[in-house]
Amino acid sequence: MATKRVAICAVAQHKNDSDLWHKRFQGMLLDVLEELQAQAGFTFDEETGVNTIVSCSDDFFDARTISNNGVTDVLGAQYRGEEKMAQEGLNAVGYAQAVILSGYADLVLVMGHCKESQSESRRMISNMGFDPFYGRAVGLDNLNAAALQARAYMKKAGLTEEQLAGIVVRARQLAARNPYANAREIVEAGKVVASPQLCDPIRQLHAYPVSDGAVGMLLASEERAAEFTDKPVWIAGFANCMDSYFLGDRDLTANFALKQAAGRAYRKAGIADPRKELDLVEVMDAYAYQQPLWLEGLGLCGDGEGARFLDQGGQEKYRVNLSGGMLAGNPVIIAGLYRAAEAALQLKGEAGERQVPDLHRAVAHSTTGAAGQFHSVLILER
Amino acid sequence: MTEYFGTTVADIFATMPKRFKPEEAKEVDIAIGYEATGEGGGKWKATIKHGTLKVETVEGELTGCKTTIHTDAETFVGVTLGKIAALDALSSQKLRVAGDPKFLMLLLPKIFTPYAAPAKKPDAVTARDIIATIAERFRPEKAEGVAMTIGYDLAGEGGGKWTIVIREGKCAVREGLADPLTVKMTMEAKTYAGMMVGTIEAVTAFTSGQVKIEGDMAAAGATAKYFLKYVVPGATEAEELISLRVINSIEQRFATGPVMGRWFAGIREKKFLANRCPKCGRTQIPPREICAWCRVRVHEFVEVGPKGVVTHFDIVYFASPDPLTGAVRDTPYATAYVVFDGATEREAITLDLKQEDIPRLKEGARVRPVWAEVTTGSYRDLIGVELDEEEGSI
Repeated sequence: MATKRVAICAVAQHKNDSDLWHKRFQGMLLDVLEELQAQAGFTFDEETGVNTIVSCSDDFFDARTISNNGVTDVLGAQYRGEEKMAQEGLNAVGYAQAVILSGYADLVLVMGHCKESQSESRRMISNMGFDPFYGRAVGLDNLNAAALQARAYMKKAGLTEEQLAGIVVRARQLAARNPYANAREIVEAGKVVASPQLCDPIRQLHAYPVSDGAVGMLLASEERAAEFTDKPVWIAGFANCMDSYFLGDRDLTANFALKQAAGRAYRKAGIADPRKELDLVEVMDAYAYQQPLWLEGLGLCGDGEGARFLDQGGQEKYRVNLSGGMLAGNPVIIAGLYRAAEAALQLKGEAGERQVPDLHRAVAHSTTGAAGQFHSVLILER
Repeated sequence: MTEYFGTTVADIFATMPKRFKPEEAKEVDIAIGYEATGEGGGKWKATIKHGTLKVETVEGELTGCKTTIHTDAETFVGVTLGKIAALDALSSQKLRVAGDPKFLMLLLPKIFTPYAAPAKKPDAVTARDIIATIAERFRPEKAEGVAMTIGYDLAGEGGGKWTIVIREGKCAVREGLADPLTVKMTMEAKTYAGMMVGTIEAVTAFTSGQVKIEGDMAAAGATAKYFLKYVVPGATEAEELISLRVINSIEQRFATGPVMGRWFAGIREKKFLANRCPKCGRTQIPPREICAWCRVRVHEFVEVGPKGVVTHFDIVYFASPDPLTGAVRDTPYATAYVVFDGATEREAITLDLKQEDIPRLKEGARVRPVWAEVTTGSYRDLIGVELDEEEGSI
């Protein structure tokens, strides 16, 4: 008999850093695994332990084909079942949920890692995501594509340089309270506005810093969750949606895929009006302009109203990215998994200095592909 | 009857009873209808019932068939011979199956031995035929400023000796071999014909020694572009499909960390440092953070080697090319499992064996490391191993 609900029992994060040159990513994962085991006390016993691991890694950053094959020992996956999530790590949570709901397994370990510092340039890696002819030759990469989106969105929503700077200043202030964040130094708005243009209108401090990190969580069926935690966080809904690969096919400010993903996740969670039923939001904001854009996509404000939403205190009302968000530094392929980990910690009441009270339901968001081609939305509740 | 791929549809049905395996068809009860359209086509019905087979030609409608296959005669022959992939024919709708195609694809190979085209008189197209078309296929615009003489020494039926002279934008073919030649190519006439009509791959023919090239290798490689591709008379030229070459390169810097890092620090001093599992005692080479068998961290390091024993090996003839340059290292080379002295038996490391030692390599051979002149703490420090014959333990 398959379970009805799936719980996140434990989460563990490796501190994000701009250059963990002294540590293999295997070593980073092992730290995360050991912390998860210390928290939840699970084993890899054939009968009662973890037998299914879902991992997330980027083959290009790892510079090896089917990169999960190189980390099986430190995932605890050797001599166990293991599968890799090729999209952003938040999808591994959705996948693990499906594995448990199907009755195939009652415990699943989700583990993700990425070392952006390992490559000469992360932009060269994201350039490889484009078609090998025009996209790559033109020099499209995640930053370049994002800047096209940023320009279009700033025009549509009336988003200003000052507001962008405000997003970054707030992210850094929050990150200062998050021991796992990478960029924890407070910055002044003037410094953000004066930081060099990387790709107009995206300035250096509008972009997330190069980051190395690893993150994991233990998921269990409703029947078994109590063995591993007395504060389970329940998955209320998960959905994702894919948009066109070709940038030119897309209205970059329409949030088409995110609206679809959010709508499906809300329906599964029984949420009729997200504006009334969500207490905390973690969005994958690789660039400052994305925070209000994704908040629109999640339905927390109307189309093109993201800039006004900032001025009206929307970030505080919905407790947006109390972790500091991706702007404070998480690597690209697992930044959404970090969002879910942070949301889960808040719901458990284990978020340390960044903890806020009275939480019932949270949303974690992730995106992969240039300028938000693919979006995933996870609803968690206490 | 019209031939496709050197045979006819009728021959495929005529040989069916001979290829039928009654013992495999005891449980089968099916009638299969075939409709092959176009030249050389027709309709057939094969009735298979409890180990018996009846094949008949059908005029008019195909009736009483559980499954029917509709295709053109050429596709039918091509799929039967494996020249056309059945899945491609199905997905392009050149071949349609009324009934369950998967069932057929599973059933037919089980109850029939594969059809082979009948042995033929030498291929319709001979090397001589192809040489005769060289002048008309010449592309003067591609051969501007080119002056070369290419000799062909083609043995066997349809062969002969020819010299192709390219000079001042003109091309002439002469019988016999001129002297000097820019390049001379020697092979069987049927190999040449096969390469020209596309049934033999030129690279394979060359690397497997079927083609001997003397003189300017680069010139030999360049000749193709001076001529239009040879087309078998009556055959339709396949549509040109464009492919593009792209070379990707991203520099990476890999951390070795405090555990694997000890290995590289060790080989800088020409020492092999394995780490030993505190639980099962196995020695990991190169050292890893954890023993995946026992699921414990591994902290203790032990020196092993420097000599060891080859427990297993292979010999590589087609090396994996360098992905950026396409350069291929010298072959053959041997990849050997080496278990260092003092290491646990299952923990071998794969290393290169010195090329000259390959003929004397045996399982159980003793080997010693071959070091780079300067060791820097890199995987390049250890070039490989060589046989350690002084010990006389081979």
